[in-house]
Amino acid sequence: MTATTHPATAPTGTAASALRGNRRRRRARSVLVTCALTVAVAALFVLTMMVGSFRIGAGEVVASVLHLSDNPSVDFVVRGLRLPTAATALTVGLALGASGTIFQQLLRNPLASPDFVGITSGAGFAAVTGIVLLQAGGLVVSGLALGGAVVAGLLMYVLAWRDGVTGYRFILIGIGASVFFDGLVGYVLSRARLFEARQAMHWLTGSVGQASGDELRLLCAALLVLLPVAVLLQRPLRALELGDDAARTLGTRPDLSRAGLLATAVVLVALAVAVAGPIVFVALVAGPIANRLLGPATGGIVPAALVGAALLLTADLVAVHLMPTPLPTGVVTGAVGAPYLLWLLATTNRQGAGG
Amino acid sequence: MTRLRAEGLTLGYDDRTVVANLDVTVLDGRITAIVGANACGKSTLLRGLARLLPARDGAVYLDGRAVADMRTADVAKVLGLLPQTPVAPDGITVADLVSRGRYPHQGWFRRWTDRDHDAVTRALDATGTTDLIDRPIRDLSGGQRQRVWVAMALAQETDLLLLDEPTTYLDINHQVELLRLLRTLNAQSGKTIVVVLHDLNLACRFCDHIIAMSDGAIVAEGTPADVVSAELVQKVFGLDCLVVPDPVAGTPMVVPV
Repeated sequence: MTATTHPATAPTGTAASALRGNRRRRRARSVLVTCALTVAVAALFVLTMMVGSFRIGAGEVVASVLHLSDNPSVDFVVRGLRLPTAATALTVGLALGASGTIFQQLLRNPLASPDFVGITSGAGFAAVTGIVLLQAGGLVVSGLALGGAVVAGLLMYVLAWRDGVTGYRFILIGIGASVFFDGLVGYVLSRARLFEARQAMHWLTGSVGQASGDELRLLCAALLVLLPVAVLLQRPLRALELGDDAARTLGTRPDLSRAGLLATAVVLVALAVAVAGPIVFVALVAGPIANRLLGPATGGIVPAALVGAALLLTADLVAVHLMPTPLPTGVVTGAVGAPYLLWLLATTNRQGAGG
Repeated sequence: MTRLRAEGLTLGYDDRTVVANLDVTVLDGRITAIVGANACGKSTLLRGLARLLPARDGAVYLDGRAVADMRTADVAKVLGLLPQTPVAPDGITVADLVSRGRYPHQGWFRRWTDRDHDAVTRALDATGTTDLIDRPIRDLSGGQRQRVWVAMALAQETDLLLLDEPTTYLDINHQVELLRLLRTLNAQSGKTIVVVLHDLNLACRFCDHIIAMSDGAIVAEGTPADVVSAELVQKVFGLDCLVVPDPVAGTPMVVPV
């Protein structure tokens, strides 16, 4: 700093080539990571459908999924039994990864995953109420979960609103709301009969194996619309990350962009929870893992979504095939995610920064 | 004709009015310092000029048009601001941050162009931050960090640049270095600069025009030599002092008694 180059005499050629090199490296890394993640997700997707009590080769799986072969027994196992679970893991993972990283970047805090800011809990409360009080099942429970998540998201936005939404207030209110909803879930469960309580607990653990075809189709359609929207909104998000003043100076309308981003993220996580139940920690870790791969503060929504899908596919493989008895996916993600959360809390405090 | 001015500008937060009915004219191609005691409304005025605070009454005009009626993206191509406490995303590198200054010049689908590249190169050059481009912001010293933020504002390529207390948290060496940088930018490109400063001596030394504020009103305006006197310092800061010529530049220098 003391040996400062005087502004007027700094050599222009160096700056230009240094900047060009920097951009090229960042772009190459981003392309490489995105491609590698895509390949990994595709491989895991196929692998999920290969293993099980009836082993099938990769070629047969691909041929069956793409309707290129006609082998009734393979088709039954692949398309009938394994494809729905694999597709659920894939789409729910994509939705959770994208949603989580949007929340974290928007609120500038690695703890600001939808798991913790009350949205997942809102969905859980609505779903459990439906299961216990209305003896609901299937699509009704998903619809209730979707509604609960959206209402919780709106509630959070209204409560946290004061001259715009700021990160810390949103997180603190979210944690409060989360605890509130969890308390209500506990109350409802304590009033439930054994069968319904068991149903509700199973739903609350989160599993990619419980989705119905209709729910899955809804999530696929939503992803086809919302992922491109999220990619478009990445642009204002990059400005918003610098603070509201800087974002406005750069020519964005912070409140409008934030509302759009929050709405996208809430709907994504709401659909994911509606389809698979509250699968914890995927949304929390996907963004930071993607950032670790891409380089800091790159905040790619697509890579984060891919990481989410890879994580959930892996968790499902572990839960169903590596455990002595098949477990709900949420148990595995929780077991892996909890140590990460502890590490995150420990390092966040040490740096004295919220993110 | 002046490009940026305010008429009858009233600004405030919640139910509190901070500045009322101000007329301000920013001189084109000059460096203007807004000075005053703490909480006199100088940062509020700057935020009002930069459309970060909506006008309660009156209006800010940019190139003859009311800023409130302009698209914020269009204003961003002409008017830049370095906020008092900008936020850097965790781990972001200098190159990434400075490049984000190009935001208003890029469309939803437009990719990085040679113009963007040149603007960022010039900004890095002008602020002497080229050597830092691969470094994360959090690893930099306060002075380096402030130059990087200035570089981001420069990459925006605006004719007018507002800076909100850019020298706070910097030691005297880096304060002077930053103000020299602003002088150089002004001399080389004729950029109009408005800067909120705490240090009256530095304002006199490095700025062409001074706006002195007290209790949300402008109490004096003009060149440092015309404006800064013992009476003014008493009135604005409540400090008894002598004003003597700066031994190096001859500009007014405040010496407390």
